[in-house]
Amino acid sequence: MATKPIEKDTNVFVTGNEVVAWAALAADAQIMYGYPITPQNEIMHYWTRLAPQHDRRFLQTEDELSAGFTTCGGVMTGTRAFTATAGPGTILMQEPITMAEMMRIPLVVVVQQRGGPSTATVIYSQQEVNLCCYGGNGEGFRVVYSTSGHQDLYDYTIKAFNTAWKYRVPTIVLGDGYQAKMREAVTMYDPASRGIEMEPTTPFVGAEGCPGVDRDPRFYRNTYNTEEELLDVVNDLKAHYDSFKDEVIEYEESDIDDAEIVVVGHGVVSRACKEAVKALRKDGFKVGYFRPITLRPFPEKQLAAAVEGKKCVLAVESALGQMKRLMTDGLYGMTVPIEEYFKPGKGVSAQELVEKVKSMMD
Amino acid sequence: MTRIVEAYIGEYASGKSENAVNRAIGLAEQGHKVTLVDLDLVEPVYTLRPLIPLLEEKGVHVIAWKTAETLGLGEAGSVLHPAMRWALKNEGDVILDIGYGAKGSAVLNLLEGVEDDPDFKVLLVVNTLRPMTDSVEKILAYLGEAGPADGFIANTHLGEKDTTAELMREGFAMVREAADRAGLPVVAMAVEERFRADFPDGIWEGVPVRFLRRYLPKGFW
Repeated sequence: MATKPIEKDTNVFVTGNEVVAWAALAADAQIMYGYPITPQNEIMHYWTRLAPQHDRRFLQTEDELSAGFTTCGGVMTGTRAFTATAGPGTILMQEPITMAEMMRIPLVVVVQQRGGPSTATVIYSQQEVNLCCYGGNGEGFRVVYSTSGHQDLYDYTIKAFNTAWKYRVPTIVLGDGYQAKMREAVTMYDPASRGIEMEPTTPFVGAEGCPGVDRDPRFYRNTYNTEEELLDVVNDLKAHYDSFKDEVIEYEESDIDDAEIVVVGHGVVSRACKEAVKALRKDGFKVGYFRPITLRPFPEKQLAAAVEGKKCVLAVESALGQMKRLMTDGLYGMTVPIEEYFKPGKGVSAQELVEKVKSMMD
Repeated sequence: MTRIVEAYIGEYASGKSENAVNRAIGLAEQGHKVTLVDLDLVEPVYTLRPLIPLLEEKGVHVIAWKTAETLGLGEAGSVLHPAMRWALKNEGDVILDIGYGAKGSAVLNLLEGVEDDPDFKVLLVVNTLRPMTDSVEKILAYLGEAGPADGFIANTHLGEKDTTAELMREGFAMVREAADRAGLPVVAMAVEERFRADFPDGIWEGVPVRFLRRYLPKGFW
């Protein structure tokens, strides 16, 4: 057993990618599989620097398809494993993610969104929401945590392993290039010190005994012969997903009660939303703030409750409505209008949101 | 007047660029002729790009790739800009910001005349609140990887919100110990401008304090 990489709370000045590598270490991840793509590269860089010191491993694969599938393979041997990618890599990663959905493999993927479509920029966007939530062929049986900064990256990377292993569901930590590269102070801690117990990992394959004699055989399949068979399988997957959905849904809200306008943003953009709402409140504007933390499953009921009877909702994102689509699905039937503030591939500042909300109040 | 030729190396996010930019602007403000070289071979143009107009306005000559001159930014790598290769031949002071992807001082052999430039100094920037350089042993190990260097810049901080004078002093003491063990000087202690009152003499334990203005938040990544 390797020594604990973080014994006591430590305040450090780090980039988001480093935070992920440290969090994975603290979460007792044993191996990372990966293929380089900016802006997630330093997750690999730091993991490969830290791994030898803590008796962990790394495998660089030939592409993201392979990175995803080898991670699934590692997981099936009972190893807490993860991978990280971005942009076009997230597209290739869909095939292993859907296999993980079908076979219920606790695959953990960290995505640092870059600009799209295609190679676009290495820098930043929130354009991988569609991909991360529903990008596969299938129904999107996965959990997606959208982080807003370094402490989130630390907390949710650790949490992602537990969600994945507890519910046996592929889990994505959705960051972005800004979070990946920006520098912030963060408190790194041993999960046990926060009462977080890491879910035990058990092998899916190679179990003791003779299958059918000493124990039930285990079937992990992603291929079926008939429509009827598949219908049952997918319905079972849905029933399983619905059974834990409410336990994993997370969101954050403030200043909702008397608000006339509710500003909704996720990820790093939510920081600008939060700051803007704070500034507007100081000036006496009745504005509220809502941030979905899980984008899948989406906090539909919670958002509906927050915007019920409001004058307007402002959807803010660095994409052309990928989060808004999740919102409208959840708010279907409600008459509250949704105003858009979309900047695909570009950051959003609190100041511009203050101005936007003020213009809506006129 | 002695010519100042300094290359700033250090761990990723250790503060190399902020220190290099401040040094270049500081020298320009003292009336020196200064060239600042962005020697990042992995992610060229990113760090300093938005700061180039400001630097030029302050009289600093900048050698860096322009966006339009490069292809495949970020991951396709880059070729060495010819002006970078000959950077040391510029008249006046030369400050080199060495990108993190380059393996520390190893990249410096790309510079023409680096072996026989008598003024050339490599300075290792260390923030002891960076996890990879948070102990004397780790600092010395990092020096072994990224060096050789001619001196240290003590640059401990926790960013905008959480930095305190006490933390900077503790960090300085750790860098000093590492420097002593390596037989190298601590050339300067970098302190953000807003802590000037905590270091009224501009000297800390015999080492000059360089008060930094924050330019990099306007920079990129």
